[in-house]
Amino acid sequence: MAGVSTKEIKNRIRSMESTKQITKAMEMVAASKLRRAQAQIENSRPYFEILHSTIEDIVRTNRDFSSPFFAQRENGKTVFIVIAGDRGLAGGYNSNVLKMVQSKLSQCPDAVVLPIGKRALDYFTSHKIPVLTGIYAEAAGVSIGDCFSIAKQLSKGFLSGEYKEIEIAYTNFVSLLSQTPATMHLLPLTCSEEMRRQGCVSGIKYEPSSEEVFASIVPEYLGGILYGTLCESRASEQAARRSAMDSATQNAEDMIADLSLKFNRARQASITQEITEIVAGS
Amino acid sequence: MSSFPLKIVTPDGLIFDGEAERLIVRSTTGDLAIMAHHINYVTPLGMGKATVIANGKRREAACIGGMLSVVDGSVTLVPTTFEWAEKIDVARAEASLSRAEEVLHNSGSSNTDLKLAEARLHRALVRKSVAGQK
Repeated sequence: MAGVSTKEIKNRIRSMESTKQITKAMEMVAASKLRRAQAQIENSRPYFEILHSTIEDIVRTNRDFSSPFFAQRENGKTVFIVIAGDRGLAGGYNSNVLKMVQSKLSQCPDAVVLPIGKRALDYFTSHKIPVLTGIYAEAAGVSIGDCFSIAKQLSKGFLSGEYKEIEIAYTNFVSLLSQTPATMHLLPLTCSEEMRRQGCVSGIKYEPSSEEVFASIVPEYLGGILYGTLCESRASEQAARRSAMDSATQNAEDMIADLSLKFNRARQASITQEITEIVAGS
Repeated sequence: MSSFPLKIVTPDGLIFDGEAERLIVRSTTGDLAIMAHHINYVTPLGMGKATVIANGKRREAACIGGMLSVVDGSVTLVPTTFEWAEKIDVARAEASLSRAEEVLHNSGSSNTDLKLAEARLHRALVRKSVAGQK
């Protein structure tokens, strides 16, 4: 009786150990990928921030709302660009961003999604939410060129009146331990009344014309923002996976310690029993 | 000579952040120079040579795509790619040039392919010419 249970415990310890090895390896892989992703963020962050503030400045000081990018439309679809991961086992990374998008989607009936990352694509196809294109199924493989081509395509759709709004959902890389899902409003270009009142200083000279400037700058801006958010999301994914795997390793260690204690107790019990049997028999 | 704050950022990082006396870039309509106390100004950029004059020193670069904005005296250049002349990979530009030419000479190429190849050819030529002027 005692022998069976020690064997069982031994098997469980062995399987725990192999699980621990896997989670440990995944943690290390995520950690090294995270370093690369963080370096990429650091490089792209100034671009991202300056691009954003420049466009904001332009919108703030702009007096010319003839550009179709400012058009507020009643009908048309709302496009959500959703950036998630390619794989699971990353803690709440995928579910957090998808949950947020789901709650936004329930508010707009006429929405289409442009998923980036396999998890996002799978989620929206299984929930029967219209997907614009499934070609960006691999978030890790999307290059800056792809970002610009997505941006061009979306702004064309916006100008033709097919889309009334474009939003992007991504995960903000706050720190190694904290990543928060966020959405950003991309089109139409808007700015708050308060900001406009502050910025009523001077107009801007557009060359060759404001229309042409906006037509070529806005897709560029969208592409840049898309790339920046993609970098943030990638780093967030690795950070989330790293901490998830770290706690999984920790849990495996705890279980192994617990099981070893049980194993030793069972072994001790069987020895004691054997001794009592021998003594009683003699 | 009075100077102005200039920032050059690309997706690869912050390339220049400091005071400059003059900035010459190629916009979609032609070359233009920015000096201190310029009015608020926005223009998209074309593909061409960019020259930055800071502290009396002149540096040249290949600057492709993006935009230039002047807001309240500070100048921001946000190109898609920006490479200082000494950092241009000439071998890569040449390889890209010959690939683009191949597509252009091939009569079976589709319209979009032709457009892409044309843009690539243009970029490669800009890079080569900027690198060659060192």
